[in-house]
Amino acid sequence: MTRRVALAVFVATTMVELVRAEASPQTVAAAAARSVVKIYGAGGVRGLEAYQSGVIMSPDGRIVTAMSTVLDSEGIDCVLDDGRRFEAKLVGVDPRRELAILSIAAADLPVLATASVRATAGTRVFAVSNLFGVAVGDERASVQRGVVAAVVPLEARRGAADAPYRGDAYVLDFTTNNPGSPGGALVDGQGRLIGVIGKELRATANGIWLNYAMPIDEVLRGCEAIDAGIASLPATAEAPAFDVRRLGIVLVPNLLDRTPPFVEAIAPGSAAARAGLEVDDLIVAVGPRAVGTRVGVEKEVGAIREGDPVRLALIRDGVVVECDLGPRPATETTP
Amino acid sequence: MTGGVRWILGMAAAAVAVSSWHEPRAGEPVRAEEEAFRAAVSRVAGAVVRIEPPAVTTAVIAAEAGAAAGPSSGVVVDPAGLILTTDFAVPADVRETVVVLPDGRRVAARPLGRDTSRGLVLLETAPIPGAPPLEAVPRTSLEPGQWTIAVGRGWAAADPGVSVGILSAIDRAWGLAVQTDAAVSPMNYGGPLVDIAGRVIGVIAPLPAEPARMMRGTELYDAGIGFAVPLEDVLGCLPRLRRGEELRPGVLGVGYESRDPINGEPVVASVRQGSPAARAGLRPGDRITSIDRRAVRRVADARHALAPRHAGDTITIAVARGDGEARVTVTSTTTLVAALPPWRRAILGAILADRDAAEDTTPAGPGIEWVLPGGPAEAAGIAAGATVVAVVSAGSGERVATPTASAVAGVLAGLEPGDPVRLHLETAGGESVADVRLADMIRTVPAEGPLAATTAIDANADAARVVRVKAVDLVEAPVAILPAGTSPAPVLIWCGPPRGTVDESDAAVWKAAAATTGVIVLLPGSSTPREWKQDDVDTVIRGLQAVAGDRAVDPARVAVAGQGAGGGFAWLVAAALGDACAGVAAGDADMPTRVSFDEAQPGDGKWFLFGDERAAAAHDARGRLERAGHAVGTLPVAAGAGPPAAVLCRWASLLGLL
Repeated sequence: MTRRVALAVFVATTMVELVRAEASPQTVAAAAARSVVKIYGAGGVRGLEAYQSGVIMSPDGRIVTAMSTVLDSEGIDCVLDDGRRFEAKLVGVDPRRELAILSIAAADLPVLATASVRATAGTRVFAVSNLFGVAVGDERASVQRGVVAAVVPLEARRGAADAPYRGDAYVLDFTTNNPGSPGGALVDGQGRLIGVIGKELRATANGIWLNYAMPIDEVLRGCEAIDAGIASLPATAEAPAFDVRRLGIVLVPNLLDRTPPFVEAIAPGSAAARAGLEVDDLIVAVGPRAVGTRVGVEKEVGAIREGDPVRLALIRDGVVVECDLGPRPATETTP
Repeated sequence: MTGGVRWILGMAAAAVAVSSWHEPRAGEPVRAEEEAFRAAVSRVAGAVVRIEPPAVTTAVIAAEAGAAAGPSSGVVVDPAGLILTTDFAVPADVRETVVVLPDGRRVAARPLGRDTSRGLVLLETAPIPGAPPLEAVPRTSLEPGQWTIAVGRGWAAADPGVSVGILSAIDRAWGLAVQTDAAVSPMNYGGPLVDIAGRVIGVIAPLPAEPARMMRGTELYDAGIGFAVPLEDVLGCLPRLRRGEELRPGVLGVGYESRDPINGEPVVASVRQGSPAARAGLRPGDRITSIDRRAVRRVADARHALAPRHAGDTITIAVARGDGEARVTVTSTTTLVAALPPWRRAILGAILADRDAAEDTTPAGPGIEWVLPGGPAEAAGIAAGATVVAVVSAGSGERVATPTASAVAGVLAGLEPGDPVRLHLETAGGESVADVRLADMIRTVPAEGPLAATTAIDANADAARVVRVKAVDLVEAPVAILPAGTSPAPVLIWCGPPRGTVDESDAAVWKAAAATTGVIVLLPGSSTPREWKQDDVDTVIRGLQAVAGDRAVDPARVAVAGQGAGGGFAWLVAAALGDACAGVAAGDADMPTRVSFDEAQPGDGKWFLFGDERAAAAHDARGRLERAGHAVGTLPVAAGAGPPAAVLCRWASLLGLL
């Protein structure tokens, strides 16, 4: 499967139209906009928009877009860059990536070349979408510019619920968390499709609104999964919290939601004792991930696979100390 | 055909012809920019660190840390182990934090010094070998429109985050910061803002855009507005931060004649006793012309020059003193302080009024309208009718001419209760002097007060008119009782029990009091009949503005009073008016916890009257207000009685007591 994606990406990398065209911002914007469609569907209630964007992925009318309530409609309309309107059929959805594929009965549609390598922080990009639904009929989708601010695993939420996609995302340094933007195209300076704009989400770490796109290789993987009929939510959304007493660590009582993870006691002969943990150590990280609360420690240790090493960073007397507690035990012992 | 193969064919069909891959020539500008951005980032990346959310702060323990807490950034200013970050990442109560270095090492760091004006914190940790030296962009070479790149490690410790924009403005936030449109958020607070060559313009910080009365800095992350403290300025403070000092905004200790904080003229009205301004020899009437050789033409210029300076910094201040031929420029230096002791309002015990220049060809000074029985002026033998020509304060021995009542107030503002002053007076009997020992501001409303100018009272005319205030957008038009006369009048806003629209007949109990004291009484209505709402506060303020548009109002004597449910509402109105409110009498309504008042200072010393001094809540509020230097007294509420119109109007008329 991976090889197929790589092949698809490679073959599509060179499109005659773009290689011949001068890749100035103007030509890049124009070419990208030709492959972006305006999607109209359900919505308009509870302040939800009834429109979003999509990217043409094949000349015969396959369109990728964001999975959203806009698609919960008897009739989904796709309006192309040239103003032609088609009724779209929902081919399928990938609930994990929150992507959907639509199909329209058209031919010879313009398709963007896709990038063969991941963009990195600092890559110049253009986002093309029908943000705020301002483009109608044959009006061209809007183009924004900026750079990829960071490439990081998405840790985001919508309201109180965590977003299901946890893979890499391109965080952008300009505002794309607008109504109508989801499903739009992200292209690089050479006009290659590098990602699809994601839905409106907030960062879990600090609650700020995220401007991000899903990298094109993930999008193609999602498309494959839909076509293969294997697109689904991950079996377990969240690993259960791990009781660190099983490692021999007794943390201070959880008086508040944000109780700092101070070590209150160490069980003699336990993994923690062997690793050299001491009473009054403050746990600041589990593996590479920072933790600030007792609940956070339990959650992060729970996320380590059974048998994988548990490494803790602690503050002791003003110095960070790293401890290796060995393989993570099973969550529950079999009696 | 499997789904995967179909996708491949779709893509292949799109690739009409495969020519050999080459760099598109015309793409150079975009690519060149991109390469320049990356080069600039790589020059500083080794100095950018990630600051992890504080594990131990009292704020966290109190569960007060908001959603905005999270990873942030910092910049290494000395490879010996000094890192600059913001107080967003390391709030005041944090003793220890965790820093992830560019090489991925996690180290503990402790705050060494803080700059509270700029919200920056200097962290100390183990040496950071390999951190590149920072090259600061000279402030003078910055130009709006140039590229700016914000670098941080909040998104990922391993790879610095990048956001690109231009310099939007220099000299923002009273000269503390430059402004950029590069995306700035908690993720890159503390990180460097660099130019296209990778030189450091400044340290990204969540400063509030305060002059525009905008939100906290942290709420501006998504608004196309971000700030950075110029590195040059920070490096100047670095030696003090390294010594573990807390740098606080420097206070000079002057008040200005103008109430306009932006365009007002920088003429000194008051000089606080023992303040840096007093030590520099500044006097009421001086016009500040420059601070540290920066020209000052408006009050805003003075603030601009002072805001970047810390307590402990020495400034050079030049003032113009005297008029015409006698005008001289006096230059002196003084060292700013962090805080002044609370101001205590000292009074002569008199009401002064400016003479109408037209009626008196020699406007030598304000006239004494009324003398407080038992007050210092009366004790010194001063009677109503005299004109105050000049004041000599015992301390400096300087004679300050006082052409207006506010000039007298300015001299008094620099003195304390108990200080002796000599007044030069002009009376019908000629010139005289009177030595007065200033007293504390009175706390309780005296049995008698100043009466409205008798010329205004005419047997045939109404001594006070009742009108319905008309203004655009007024939800509930208030009723106003306007006393006769044209001189600037005090205003009393009375918030009775809520009952919707105020009837003009409600004005009856106020008419006599308003007429005799010359106080304008404003009776606002509530938008709903049973309760006062927060939205009504705005309506009241608009009503006040509408009255002030029609009839001269004395801005230094605006009072808010209320009773029952209206008492609580009066507190809200007073808080919304801020320094435009000179007195609050809220009956026995507790002061709401969200209401607070600034510390008293010259020109803004309030007079509070509490209905019940025994109530515990009132006791706490009284203590707070007294410690803040305000006058706090008691006005008992008579159960079931109507508004104490006469006492309240007398009180309002006495708010300007000097």
